[in-house]
Order: sequence, then structure tokens, then C-alpha cells
Amino acid sequence: MQLGRTRCLSECRILLLPPEFQRSSRDLLKQPAPEDTVTASFGKFISEIKPQHLSPVVLHRSKRMVLDSIGVGLIGSTTDVFELALQHCQNMYAPGDTSSVYGHRGIRLSPILAAFVNGVATHSMDFDDTWHPATHPSGAVLPAVLALSDMMPANNKPSGLDFLLAFNVGIEIQGRLLRFSNEAHNIPKRFHPPSVVGTMGSAAACACLLSLDPIQSSHALAIAASLAGAPMANAATQSKPLHIGNASRLGLEAALLASRGLEASPLVLDAVAGVAGFSAFYEDYVPQPLQSPGNDSHMFLLEEQDIGFKRFPAHLGMHWVADAAASVHKVLVGVGPGTVSPAQVEDILLRVPKSKYINRPFPESEHEARHSFQFNACTALLDGEVTVQSFTPAAMSRPDLHALLSRVRLEHPNDNPANFNRMYGEVQLTLVGGDTVKGRCNTFYGHWRNPLSNDSLRKKFRSNAEVALPSEKVERLIEVVEDLDQLRDCRNLLSQLQ
Amino acid sequence: MMLDTLGVGLLGTRTAVFNKALKYSQLFTSRERSSVWGQSDIILPPHYAAFVNGIAVHSMDFDDTWHPATHPSGAVLPALLALVETLPSQPSGLDLLLAFNVGIEVQGRLMRFSKEAYNIPERYQFWKYFQLWMKEGETNHGPLCPFRFHPPSVVGVMGSAAASAKLLRLSPEQCIHALAIAASSAGAPLANAATQTKPLHIGNAARRGLEAARLAQIGLKGNPAILDLDRGLGVYYKDYSPSAMADSAVRAYKWILEDQDVAFKRIPTHLGMHWVVDAALAAREKLQNAVGKFDLSQIRHVTLRVPPSKYVNCPLPATEHQARHSFQFNACTALLDNKVTVASFGDAQIGRSAMKELLGKVSLETPEDNLPSFDKMYCEVEIATHQGPSYTARCDTFYGHWRKPLTLKHLVEKFSVNASSVLCTEGVERVIDVIGNIERVADCSILGSYLRMTRNQERLDRMRIL
Repeated sequence: MQLGRTRCLSECRILLLPPEFQRSSRDLLKQPAPEDTVTASFGKFISEIKPQHLSPVVLHRSKRMVLDSIGVGLIGSTTDVFELALQHCQNMYAPGDTSSVYGHRGIRLSPILAAFVNGVATHSMDFDDTWHPATHPSGAVLPAVLALSDMMPANNKPSGLDFLLAFNVGIEIQGRLLRFSNEAHNIPKRFHPPSVVGTMGSAAACACLLSLDPIQSSHALAIAASLAGAPMANAATQSKPLHIGNASRLGLEAALLASRGLEASPLVLDAVAGVAGFSAFYEDYVPQPLQSPGNDSHMFLLEEQDIGFKRFPAHLGMHWVADAAASVHKVLVGVGPGTVSPAQVEDILLRVPKSKYINRPFPESEHEARHSFQFNACTALLDGEVTVQSFTPAAMSRPDLHALLSRVRLEHPNDNPANFNRMYGEVQLTLVGGDTVKGRCNTFYGHWRNPLSNDSLRKKFRSNAEVALPSEKVERLIEVVEDLDQLRDCRNLLSQLQ
Repeated sequence: MMLDTLGVGLLGTRTAVFNKALKYSQLFTSRERSSVWGQSDIILPPHYAAFVNGIAVHSMDFDDTWHPATHPSGAVLPALLALVETLPSQPSGLDLLLAFNVGIEVQGRLMRFSKEAYNIPERYQFWKYFQLWMKEGETNHGPLCPFRFHPPSVVGVMGSAAASAKLLRLSPEQCIHALAIAASSAGAPLANAATQTKPLHIGNAARRGLEAARLAQIGLKGNPAILDLDRGLGVYYKDYSPSAMADSAVRAYKWILEDQDVAFKRIPTHLGMHWVVDAALAAREKLQNAVGKFDLSQIRHVTLRVPPSKYVNCPLPATEHQARHSFQFNACTALLDNKVTVASFGDAQIGRSAMKELLGKVSLETPEDNLPSFDKMYCEVEIATHQGPSYTARCDTFYGHWRKPLTLKHLVEKFSVNASSVLCTEGVERVIDVIGNIERVADCSILGSYLRMTRNQERLDRMRIL
């Protein structure tokens, strides 16, 4: 095959261009062999990973994630946005009889739609887990794996260990993809991360559960890439939970399409000059192949980097200011009449990272309130804590709260980056009379550096799950998830969800 | 546009990708049912009908193309026709036509929010980025990918949402939310172009736009400033500057389609191939006229002068999808067969030794003055012979381009040929009739039934008569 004049021209360009350009044009001239691509390595990993590759730490941490995710999904199934999503599915489609819907006995939907509504439920209150680099990993994966398990024939249901493996594959793929770019390490500005990596994680998890071969698995990822990506502008609106719902359902769809032989780009994860694949979602993108486990163990990212669980249903950044404000509240209450009154307060200064979509001085909806430094700080100042109840219309419309909100200023110190691994929250109250009280939080309780104890996690689960299920089912769920890796048949899990 | 879309869609229902999507979609059932084009007895939930019919439309890359570049109709018409069959209000042909044009117009408006949209996907603009690098020093623009998302996946879903919202008669506020919800479904990377998944970009645009409108109808809300914000629709573009639409309450509204027509394809390939095919055919004719007889062995070398665009530069395509996106393959087909047709993309055609041999003699050049824009590009084909002389031809505007539109006769002919592969004669004629007179049609849901009048049925009917 002759490149003729073309090669000559390209070589001339190589001489004249700065180094970073030269590298890229040399890449153009040589195509990687199919087996050497990043995309193929991901497909191979998904297909070849085995349950024995799951270490005790990974098993323990992922079971905690499964429990928390089910809990927030159950409480989320009582929200308006969930109702809307469910109504949509029931209007648009005939009742399925396959997959269960969180907390709604008697309602079953086809697997794709169940994954959708359960994903919406999981993220509906922004109460679900958060990882570093930033995304909400479990909500995109668990609903799809549950729905798919319901779909498998009765005599071939996955064991608890198969289930956990698929779940962990979905998490691992997300973590690997997030490490392909520096942009991913900071609080997102353009694409909502769960809509980007979550879809891919769901596809990977479902490909694993469906036992797709390496090539089908990589096509599942490629098909999913064409379904990924939603803009940040819809965060802090009622549509945000659909990002997770869609990630879950579309990843499952991608895997099902791949299982039927649909093919897509075999280079979707690779950095191909001039043709954007998964790189389309990032400004900087340097993919790395994934090592296949072989006979040795595989170091899952979850082992190196734990998850953060939320103590109240709001964007993760709120947890720092809430803890800082709570400590200020404690000081004031200790010395004063036992409550904090706006009349005492002259000025409230919050030192927080710069991030437009969580800077809302006067939030008007619960969705906005969950994404407002100001709202969460003032709530914690008033009440000593932020809870599920803090976002009800009654709580949101309190005059005392509004009085405090009008006294808030924000500062963005240079040493406070928009990064969940390095940020802090500081609250400085100036009282009428001139005294100041300061509180600072570097690591809130629930952050991966200061993880929730098993007791705290179960307490959160019970308080969430009991809104939707009777207490016997709640306790049984705790037991089943605790022993998930020993379970011979995951039907014991599936039957407790509604 | 509607007629052409139906024709290519019907033809597309015989492709492998359509069949895979159809099998998958049959997992779903619903009370509401919509027709699957070219299938007499399969109906699907409206969203999945929109999905598979949209896939059919784009399955062979045979559908219309606009400037700035996108495939506007395939994202809109399948959604509307699926919706029409479910509405109790029985929309008229004029309702359908208006909603369709809303869907097209919105796409056109959105594409004009960004200069990036005006160029077809490029390889690199070396010199542009070198200048940028000089100006900005260390940039954090990563791999040089000026074009990241397949345009129909960005604006197509918005058009589908707008059209569906119009047909559903949503309030202005609901329409805004339909667009906002749709934005969260936009954006598929270009890497899946030239693969079997590309048609799903249009299928998904149609389906998810429809879905967005229905979610807005039951009250779901998104960000009402979705079009205003850089972190809204702006995430899909490197440069984004939106502008408000003029008030349409004014009587005479100027539609973009009036100023800028679409191009209809004569062959099922990426639009750029049409230039190179017309140039190759002309060069071949010159050679034939000069020498008296065209003989492949005379060809020493073939040079194609084309605009820079990596994803249609494919020297040795292995699949039909790659072949539809290959300057080299299409030029060689024109030289080998003196025509390029629907049948040129089968495995046998791609794999024949004469093709491989000729492909080996082809090289590409990308002259500086050949801009990667469907409005400005040209193709030149130079055949160098062993005997000595070279024969060169150039195509600036292919027949079917908006500067040289297909005549109505040829458009209807294209439709008839496409549709007849699937529908019986009566079905073909009725569709032509309905679309031709769409403004006067009282209930446009009959279109769905005509699209199901397949040839098998006709054979059965004939048997019954006998």
C-alpha cells in the first residue's frame, strides 16, 4: 500500500512542529495491533476476571456500598422525581413482570426500565456514595446488575459472588476511566461524571454478568460510549437523578445489544488522533491499558481508594461546611440560650472551593438546596446538623433560615481547590458585638479518610430503608448483604427489595 | 425531505444493524403501539419504533445532509410518526409538517451557535493549533481532536424533542424543559462513526428526544437556561455563543430551510464521497474518450485531492461501514464499475481482488485550499497512465448538493427504487401521494399503515385472488 506523497508531507510537518504534535502525527502513521489497544485490554479484563480475584478488603468495601446504595434507593423511591419516572415507564410501556422496583411491592418492570427507575431513586436525593476522582459509582451499576439478575432464568441465577464480581467490575471500570484525565480529578465543570463513566461501568458490569467474551465486552463499552454524557447544567435540577437512571439503563442496553452481535468502534477508549472516542468527554485524555488478572490477583482500585458515604442527602461538598458550621453551633449553644438566633449574627463567612454549581445564595427548590454551600451551612448553624428533613418545604421556608442566608458571604481561598481529596470548609461567624467564632472541617465523618463505622452505616441504612419497607425485610437485607459472597443464589437478595 | 427519509428508511429495514436493533426492541411491549416501517406485522412501543426506524434511516448513510453538517430528518421524522400513531387527537398532515419543520429549524439554529459546527470533522488543523500553542503557551487542550461529537447526536435529539413537543402541544415552559431534558441525552463520540453503531446515533436521537418531550409533558423539569449556559448545551462545543430566536408571533417567519437547502444523496455513503465519485467518473470518461476503451491495466496511479478528514480517509476498508466512509474505495468503485450504487457495498464488492489491486495504486493529497466544509470542498481525481498522459477531473458541486438540487423527478425516482425493495407498488404510490399532498391530509396516521404494505403481503393478496 502506497502512502506516497502523503507520508512525505506528514514527515515534513513532523520536523516543523513542537514535540507534542510530533508524537501525535507519528501515531497517525502506525496503527496499533488489535490486541494491543486499550479498548481490547478492557474487554479482556471484563471477560476474564474471576471471583477469586476479589480480595477481602474489596469484598468488605463493596458490600458496604451495596447496602448503602439499596438504602438510599429505598428512601429515594418515595420522592416526586421517582414517581414521575415510574409513571413515565408505566405510561410508555406495558407492565413487565421481570425486575423489581425498589420499595414498590407488586410493581415489576422490564429490566431496562427497572434499572432506570431504581437508578433515579438512588440519586434522587443526592444521598448516594461518592468516589475520588469524583463520581457516584454505585447508583449507575447496582440497579442494572439487580435488574439483569432478575432477568436471568430461574435455574441459572447468579450466585452472590457472581453478583459481587459484576458489581466490582462496574466500579473498577469507572475508576480506571476516571484516571485517564487530570480534568476528572476536580469537581466537574462540563459533563456530569456519572453520565460519562457510570454508563461505561454499567455496561461493563452487565457484560461481566452476561459472560460476554472479550470482543463482545469491548463492543459493549463502545456502544455505551455513544450513550454517555450529560451536561452539568442539569445538575441541581430535577433532571439530575435521571443521569444515574440513564447511566444504569443505557449501560445494560449496551451490553444486551453487544450480546446480540452489535459492533462498534474497537478503538473507543484509545486516543486516536483526529477522531474522538471516549476522549470526547475530556479536555486532556491519556488512556492506559488494563492488565488482565491471569492467575494472580488483581489490585482493584477500591482497595487503594475507598468510597465516601454521605450522612445527609446533599452534594458531597456540603458535608465539609455542615460539619464546620455544626462545630460553630455547638460553641454558640454552649455559651448562649441553647439556640442560635439570627439576631446574634452579624456576618457569616464561608471559605470554600470555587464551584459555580454549588454556590447558591438563595436556593428555591430542594434540588438547589442540596447544591448550596450557603443553605447547608446555615441549616447546620441553626440546627446543629443537616438531615433528610432539612430539605422539606417547611424546613426550607423558615424565616430564621432566610435571615441567616442573607448574611452569608463566600470566599475562595487559593489553598482550597475544587477537589474532594484536598478541599476544606471553614465557617467564620461574626457576632453582633464583634466576637468571631470559627469552625473548620478538613475531613468530614463519612469521607474516605474518616469512613463511617459499620454501625453508623447500618444506622443510616435502617433509617432510609424503614421509610419504604417493613422492619423484618430491613433486617433481613442487612444480613443478606453482609453474607452476599456466601450466597448460593442471589434471589434471596432480589426478593427483599420490595 | 420527508419522502427521501421514508425511502431510505424503508431500504434500511433490510440491513443487519436494523435487524439487531429490532430483535432487541422486541423485548418491550406497551399499550401504545407504533408501526415499524416495512414490517407488516411488527409493532413496537413508540419510543422503540422511533429507535428502530431512525436506525433504518441512517443504516446505509443514505439520508439527507445539511449545512452546517448534520443529518436532520432522520432524527425527527421517525419520532413524529411514532407519536402520531398514539395521539387520540389525530393530527393532520399540516400539524405533522409544522412539527417536522420545527424539529429541523431548531437543529439549524443550534448549529449556528458554534463556528466549530461549520466544518466537517477534521484530521488536525496543524497550523491553527500551532498558532494557538504559540499564543497560549502550555495549553491543556489534550489530543488534537477539534471535532468530538457526531453532530446528529448533539442537535438531532434536540430537534426530536422540539418536534415532539410541538406535536404534543406543550406549553412554552414545558417545551423549554423538553429541550433541557434532551440535552442530557445528547452527545455521542465520533469514534463510532464508520462502525455498525453509527446508525444508532440517529435512532437514539429520535427516541430520546421523544422521551424528553413526554417526560416534560408529565412535569419533569431540567435547567431552563440549558441553551444559554456553557455547561449546558455548550459542553458539546469548544466555542459556543447562543443567540435568542426572533419572536415567531410575527407573521412572516424566516425559516433557515428557505435560505439553506439540504443535500440528498445519490449513493449510500458519507456526503464527501459524492464529490470524489463525480470527479472519478468524469476522469474515467476523459480517459475513455482519449484512448477509445477504458482498461484498468492502463492505470499506473490514482491521486485524489480531497479535504482533510481522518474519518473518511480509509485506504483499505474491511466492512461496509468503512467503505461508505472511504474516499479511496468510492473513487475506485467509480473507476472499476463506471457507477456507484446501493449494491456497491456488499462483502463481495469490497473484497474483490480488482478492488484491492486498484486501491493499492491510490494516494491522497489534501491541498491547502480544500476546506473541510460541505459548502466549500471539492474533489479532484487524477489518473496517471502507464502510457504517459494523465487525465484529471474536478468536481466542485455534485448533483444532489444544495447548490445543484435533485429534480423532483429524480427524487421521486430515488424514493420509488428504495421503497419498492420493501413495499408493494400500491404502498409506494400511496406514500408518494400522501407526502405530495400532506398539507391537505386530514389524519396523517394513515401514513403508518401505508409504510406497512410490504411486498409479501401483495403476493399473498394476489394468491387469494387466484
